[in-house]
Amino acid sequence: MQKMLKKYFPVFALPTLAAFAISFLIPFILGVYLSFTEFKVVSERKWVGIENYIRIFSQDETFLNSLWLTVKFTFVSVLTINIIAFSLALLLTKGLKGTNFFRTVFFMPNLIGGIVLGHIWSLIINGILGYFGVDITYDPKYGFWGLVILMNWQMIGYMMIIYIAGIQNIPDSLSEAAAIDGANPWQNLVHVTIPMVMPSVTICSFLTLTNSFKLFDQNLALNGKSPDTSLLALDIYKTFYDHTGLKLAQWHGMGQAKAVIFFLLVALIAFIQLRATRQREVEH
Amino acid sequence: MATITFRNVAKSFDNGKFTVIPDLSLEIKDKEFVVLVGPSGCGKSTTLRMIAGLEDISGGELFIDEKVVNDIPPKDRDIAMVFQSYALYPHMTVYKNMAFALKLKKMPKKEIEEKVMWAAKILDLEPYLDRRPRALSGGQRQRVALGRAMVRNPKVFLLDEPLSNLDAKLRTEMRSQITMLHKKLQTTFVYVTHDQTEAMTMADRIVVMDKGVIQQFDTPQKLYNEPANMFVAGFIGSPQMNFFDARLENANGLKAKSVGFELEIPKSKAAFLSDYINKNIVLGIRPEHFISPDEAFEKGSCSLTVSAELAEMTGSETNIHFELDGKRHIARIKSDKKINRGDKIKLLVDPETVHFFDKETSLAI
Repeated sequence: MQKMLKKYFPVFALPTLAAFAISFLIPFILGVYLSFTEFKVVSERKWVGIENYIRIFSQDETFLNSLWLTVKFTFVSVLTINIIAFSLALLLTKGLKGTNFFRTVFFMPNLIGGIVLGHIWSLIINGILGYFGVDITYDPKYGFWGLVILMNWQMIGYMMIIYIAGIQNIPDSLSEAAAIDGANPWQNLVHVTIPMVMPSVTICSFLTLTNSFKLFDQNLALNGKSPDTSLLALDIYKTFYDHTGLKLAQWHGMGQAKAVIFFLLVALIAFIQLRATRQREVEH
Repeated sequence: MATITFRNVAKSFDNGKFTVIPDLSLEIKDKEFVVLVGPSGCGKSTTLRMIAGLEDISGGELFIDEKVVNDIPPKDRDIAMVFQSYALYPHMTVYKNMAFALKLKKMPKKEIEEKVMWAAKILDLEPYLDRRPRALSGGQRQRVALGRAMVRNPKVFLLDEPLSNLDAKLRTEMRSQITMLHKKLQTTFVYVTHDQTEAMTMADRIVVMDKGVIQQFDTPQKLYNEPANMFVAGFIGSPQMNFFDARLENANGLKAKSVGFELEIPKSKAAFLSDYINKNIVLGIRPEHFISPDEAFEKGSCSLTVSAELAEMTGSETNIHFELDGKRHIARIKSDKKINRGDKIKLLVDPETVHFFDKETSLAI
């Protein structure tokens, strides 16, 4: 059996490998290569070395602004989404009446596409802010919090479901043992529930971290017109399609270089986060 | 130390839709080792959980040391519990698991260490203090659970089927360890099990429960020798007691006539049975009270011949399964011979060992 598997392994692995190479690996390598070139179309490119990377930091102040805004946005979103989702999950696992109804209600925003959500929230928030003479589309302060609210509204339900699964997986006897050991509800939460849901924390923080860092469509729909509220993904998009000053080929090369930096940042942060939370996980 | 008293305690679920314990009154003495035993769903674990404070009490009063504890939370009852699943905190080491309750009490570190080391020494856990529960065997986990309870020096130890996840050999070993621990700690132990061997070997007194009702509360010897009713008689003893329908007649002496045999009632029991003459009764004969003719039994005044349906050699004894009056029975006899299916076996019964039950009420006569 083992011998036969070995013999036919390439036959079975090839389709997947080919699909992976065509749809991910080759474009990725080509993308990295293009970040060292200037190009209008992919087939006509000119090698410029690390010129694009230098330009990002010397001629385009939007990148660092966007990066800082993205870091702030991610930090706030990851915290708020996870804290609120975990709190809701705790409430909805207490066996209260209407639990299933609320689970569905909280999950529903996740089923609506980002662009649609962005436009809906833009109408809602601008409608409210209009009374105070402020507009979310152009005001960076309100735009930032508008994005946080939108992201929370969309992702809390999904994360809540993951936390609910984690909490339900904790044997009742553990919190009972803690209660007998003298733990009050808060100590029970800190010493038993939270350590026991660390696998859910890993998944949820990974998802919220990467999704917040990569946020694009909601940002485009809610406040894409303002240059000061562009997160990294939107900034890269604007570098490609929405700039003047340099030649188009130069903007394209620079956009490509930004995308590579963006990839490295997301990969690095996700890697650090996974290592940090996985160390706290335990099997039970 | 502590006494535990149930006074007309009731427990129901779903706003009274399901009553698990209708009316329980029970008194457990200080330093006593009491085992709650009964089939699944008889309410033994619920009773234990009510003592722990993990289940609300629907009616009546529960006292620990003369103090009503109905509304007192588990942490303030000064009890410790060992769970069936051990309920060890998987993210904590053995040391931390045992120290957790003391840490919550804000006990000084040195005192915590002393107590944990004391328990670890008694339970032979010293080499494992830095390990997490995942890296321990079932028996070691069980000892950690016991240690976690011991370090708190509680008034009452509650143990909910603590040995049911262990293999047979380890179970026997842990059984004696727990019994010795009780003697050493001199604390009240309440132990739940469905295994009557555990109950018989460990308890000072046993509570036999069925459908939330106490069937008998007595010492193991009394339960075995003088069961209060057919349920207790059937539950205590393994294999379980055989029941034979019989009719009591007074012709040339008091006799119980059953299908396939006739039993002469001994004088010691005749007085109790006088009200049942010409009535149907149930005879209870424990499998181990059947005697093989090979054993040179002389005073047996009753014999029956059965056809062996199955013979199980258990070493020095053989369990013979046979059918009589449409019911299956088991006789445990000492026999060196190989017994085959269909063999005719003659069994003797000493009438002094036979139990008599009222057929209508199932109560012992």
